[in-house]
Amino acid sequence: MNFTLDHVVIGVRDLEAATDHYAALFGRTPSWRGEHPTYGTRNTLFRIENTYVELLSMAKDAKSSQVAGELPRFLERGEGVYALALGSADIAADVRELRNRGIPAQQPVEGHGIDQISGARRDWKNAMVPVKSTNGARIFFIEHVSPPDALPEAAVAVTGQTYVRRMDHAVVLSPDMESAKRLWSGVLDARLALDRTFPERNTRILFFRLGDITIEMSGGATQTEEGLGKPDRLWGLAWGVGSVEETVLRLRAQGIDVSDPRRGIKPGTKVATVKGVHTHGVATLLIEHTEESFQPASRRPQGAAFDNDPGRRAFALKALDHVSLAVDDGEAAARTWRDTLGLSESEAFQTTGAHMRLSKIPAGNAFMELVQPLKSEGRVATHIASRGPGMFGVALEVDDVDRAVADLRAKGVTVSDSEYGAWPGTRTARIDPSSANGVNVVLVQRLPEIL
Amino acid sequence: MIQKVHHVGVVVRDMDQAMRFWRDTLGLPVHKLETIEEQGVKAALLTVGDSEIELLEPVVEGTGVARYLESRGEGLHHVCFQSDDVDADLQALKDRQVELIDQQTRTGLAGRICFLHPRAMHGALVELCQPIEEPHAAGAAAVQP
Repeated sequence: MNFTLDHVVIGVRDLEAATDHYAALFGRTPSWRGEHPTYGTRNTLFRIENTYVELLSMAKDAKSSQVAGELPRFLERGEGVYALALGSADIAADVRELRNRGIPAQQPVEGHGIDQISGARRDWKNAMVPVKSTNGARIFFIEHVSPPDALPEAAVAVTGQTYVRRMDHAVVLSPDMESAKRLWSGVLDARLALDRTFPERNTRILFFRLGDITIEMSGGATQTEEGLGKPDRLWGLAWGVGSVEETVLRLRAQGIDVSDPRRGIKPGTKVATVKGVHTHGVATLLIEHTEESFQPASRRPQGAAFDNDPGRRAFALKALDHVSLAVDDGEAAARTWRDTLGLSESEAFQTTGAHMRLSKIPAGNAFMELVQPLKSEGRVATHIASRGPGMFGVALEVDDVDRAVADLRAKGVTVSDSEYGAWPGTRTARIDPSSANGVNVVLVQRLPEIL
Repeated sequence: MIQKVHHVGVVVRDMDQAMRFWRDTLGLPVHKLETIEEQGVKAALLTVGDSEIELLEPVVEGTGVARYLESRGEGLHHVCFQSDDVDADLQALKDRQVELIDQQTRTGLAGRICFLHPRAMHGALVELCQPIEEPHAAGAAAVQP
């Protein structure tokens, strides 16, 4: 299955006020003003570059009992993100597959909407699923029958880089992160792009990609007992703008409560938070990407470089194996280390061909390697000639050096072929310092001992 | 007494760019990222086994790290050993008249720290540290609407 984020539904009590507020926030005029006589609801739609936003309210004077679905009960509790609509190219097939995977999706039903202004009609098929089967976050599936241009992009009504161009991400709060992972990655086939824990903020974040939009799942750094099985909550939306600073000025001039611009957590982003009545219960962030940030366009050439989920990494970095020091007199340096820091050389030898004297000074979890070049050519001799003796490089232990080499090359890193290392029982590969901030990094795989 | 290699320090020109390699390409988890105003550096600590890689980007001119970057470019900067008593170790170094950068221990990212002069160690810059125990944060979820 290959879903897109077709649109996002925001449940609002007063559609006229919400339409004005979101038109001001987006800097756009609505694409569509519609009614659903059969559902007892009304809506306003804004199509932006990569999705559309539906403000949904009950029809005027409609009684709760006349409105389909759970909207009345939702609005009793408040406004906010009501549902995520996942776009399907073949909804009948996807419903079958969802059922195979344990999601009791209903049979697709046809629906249509009429634009009050133009009289245009749009047709679609959608399939609902019980909210319990999607961890409490309301999700449904939609296949559009009308062509995409039946819903035109919302006209930009402001000048400069101050309008909302696209949706960047949707934030879901999840008290049960593993369950969220199973649903989005295991069942809905959204690509897990990141799984990162920030201990100092007690936060764990999962990124799932639907096209170029991220579903950001946010929970505690460690899973609490009481969180297990608790429902997820659709919480916030982040809108991409051309310039956060200009947009903040424009919004303030229109009386919208917005924070000062600040640096985002993602490197290279600027963000600002919109507060107050204009958000209608949606935690709202404006985000600007610069060249260095994780824009879809700049992410693509990096391949899977941003995939930090351990389960999806090609290799594991296990430990700091050793730190290499370039020395011009290995024996003298070893005496200094012993006399100054109480760390003693445990072994020393000359490499094949007498290119180097290598020695090992164990230091608990790792060892210091003293490298004395015995010939005038070679990396270490060159290093000493240009920079003097001292810090040379680090060796990191990996579980599989050949997989690491292949993976790093795929990500554009210059790395040597693997070879038997100077220390017995190792295979090693060198990462070029130009790829590693000037550091000589050696990857070491410790081979099983041969009996 | 020295217990283990606490971290190795790498001086970088641009933290965001460096993170793309050490964090994103190698996959090392970041457990601390902060700007230390009094030292004029932005620092990131990445976990590798039971040791760490410390990335340092100078944000103020004239600091040791800034001068290093200017004169030598990016690269491996120092190695830090964890000690069970850094003040006692520093006193022992003074008694042996080892050339030092810090005559007193001070508070750094890794706890109580001091640096030996690279001339004392055949050009290698060595730091000693004694981590300061921190109480665990309360278990409550930090993410609140």
